[in-house]
Amino acid sequence: MHGRRTLGDHLVLAAVVLLAAIWVAPIAWIVGLSFKPNDELMRSTGHLLSPPFTLKNYADILGASSVFAWMLNSAVVAVGQTVLTLAVASAAGYGFARTSFPGKPVLFALTLAAFAVPEQAIIVPLHTLFAEADLHNTYAALILPRLAFPFGVLLMTQYFKAIPAEIEEAALLDNASRFKVFWRIALPLSLPAQATLGIYTFLHAWNDYFWPLVSATKPEMYTLTVGLASMQTNFAQTEGIGFLMAQAVFAGLPVLVLYLFFQRHIVTAVAGGAAK
Amino acid sequence: MGGLVLRNVSKRFGPVGVIDDLSLEVGEGEFAVFLGPSGCGKSTLLRMVAGLETLSAGEIHLGRRRIDALAPGERGVAMVFQHYALYPHMTVRQNMGFGLRNVGMPATEVEAKIAQAAALLEIGDLLDRRPAQLSGGQRQRVAIGRAIVKQPEAFLFDEPLSNLDAALRARTRVELARLHQQVPSTMVFVTHDQMEAMTLATRIVVMNAGRIEQVGTPIEVYRRPATRFVAGFIGTPAMNFLPVAAVEAEGARATAVLADGMRVPTAIPATRLPAGPLTLGVRAEHVVAGQGSPAVVEVVEHLGERTLIHARLQDGSALVYAEPGDSALRAGDAATLQADGSAVHLFDGAGRAYHAGLNP
Ligand SMILES: Nc1ncnc2c1ncn2[C@@H]1O[C@H](COP(=O)(O)OP(=O)(O)O)[C@@H](O)[C@H]1O
Ligand SMILES: [Mg+2]
Repeated sequence: MHGRRTLGDHLVLAAVVLLAAIWVAPIAWIVGLSFKPNDELMRSTGHLLSPPFTLKNYADILGASSVFAWMLNSAVVAVGQTVLTLAVASAAGYGFARTSFPGKPVLFALTLAAFAVPEQAIIVPLHTLFAEADLHNTYAALILPRLAFPFGVLLMTQYFKAIPAEIEEAALLDNASRFKVFWRIALPLSLPAQATLGIYTFLHAWNDYFWPLVSATKPEMYTLTVGLASMQTNFAQTEGIGFLMAQAVFAGLPVLVLYLFFQRHIVTAVAGGAAK
Repeated sequence: MGGLVLRNVSKRFGPVGVIDDLSLEVGEGEFAVFLGPSGCGKSTLLRMVAGLETLSAGEIHLGRRRIDALAPGERGVAMVFQHYALYPHMTVRQNMGFGLRNVGMPATEVEAKIAQAAALLEIGDLLDRRPAQLSGGQRQRVAIGRAIVKQPEAFLFDEPLSNLDAALRARTRVELARLHQQVPSTMVFVTHDQMEAMTLATRIVVMNAGRIEQVGTPIEVYRRPATRFVAGFIGTPAMNFLPVAAVEAEGARATAVLADGMRVPTAIPATRLPAGPLTLGVRAEHVVAGQGSPAVVEVVEHLGERTLIHARLQDGSALVYAEPGDSALRAGDAATLQADGSAVHLFDGAGRAYHAGLNP
């Protein structure tokens, strides 16, 4: 920034700093607690900044033999869900945006209606469905139900609609097939929307707890969230606060690393999603 | 190369008719300009030729082939869109090469064609840029370049100059005319701008509400407009139209008597005129000052090389006339005006035109 800052700039800056502090405080609190011995925290959580400190909580997590297997499960599920959701949402969105076929309005309305169905309402039939197909405790069971993602379809439909049709018509005149127009023109032009949807899907999949808890009953198929929860003792909220906090930090770490890598893309994805 | 033939072409969007039984032949190497007001169906017609819109009825032939059922890419046409429609994520080089690579042309040949077209359009130094890094005029050239490399049988232009500023539009107009001399393909150019039509066309097709009003050379449509619509659409300022109160035959020629009493002895054969109300049409440059009917000056437009004077006759009808150079007249001044009978047109109630000499 060049030139002098006005009083208004200072006020905005102060407000942003304040908001950031409010936002960061609980996270800092969690991180602080995760380095404290559990027995001290049972008595009081008020001495965050004074010793004793300990790494025992993290050691306990890493000591559980399955933690890295759970992390791998989470990665497979999150990446699989992201890639497949992008594929499904893009294909369906392009179809809704650019083709006309009998029944399209009805189909689109149904897709939108799926928005209104809460997860809790379908979890039992979903469980039965996968039980009858004998698919529980597989990656397929963890990934497939999440691919029907109406918001993703809607997002891609709107995004493809906003691409000027003339650009695709020019490609048709350039001897591109319908598929090539999709693959070489529409898809590359939709990258910002793909990024938005991809990041959202990945985070959602990584943090997902309800469905994996229901579907993955064998410990070796646990995702990280379910696995970590399974390690908690009955009275964790009073006896194991430090351990609980260390789990939270540990589960959030990969996402944080990803965020640091893709920070620029995430910011533009979120901002672009808002401005579009 | 080959000519373009439209035979009884119609287009309806649901119940709405946009193009109505239109037939036309555009000769090989011709520069045909479709001229008409916004919404008259020009783009629709062009898109039907390109294969981006289906026909409701009729046939389209290009060269020796019937093309109306072929896919857009197989028709041998290239189109330059109004908003250029460049591929935003590709460089200029990739934009121009996309169509060639899609038909499997070897890379070296593609490069050669791009280089050739780039030289012709003077965009050689832009080849590695993206469309977003180009000015409007440069994008326009790239869009034309993308069409040229394909060496199509026919070029289709949909108002390609309408997004350029006035100065650039005038320059590009001349360059397009030059381009047509160097790339002598059949060109179909669509515009609502009569100036573009007049400067570019070997033949103008004046359209109105999905129909052809007249086909002719620029001078033909200017001098002998077939209908009142064409007469009013072509020429700046628009032709004056004055109601005719009576027609008297003087020898074989008709003399029109206007509502305010002005007598205009025309060169139009009286016997050809139909019964019923007539309108007299006269261009601003064919109104003579200093004789004839009294009028009051209302607005004076100083254009430099000529002056347009908007006046009102005693019966209330408006009349614009042009004086070469500057004029000392001011709003409120009195003038006397006379339409030059040798250059006027008469129009019947249906808009049909009657000219001096041979009538169609
Ligand atoms: N896809 C469409 N559906 C319905 N009406 C259309 C469609 N495309 C064009 N029209 C109508 O056809 C008429 C001619 O449009 P167009 O060919 O774009 O005119 P022009 O290019 O001469 O301005 C307009 O009235 C327009 O509203
Ligand atoms: Mg148009």
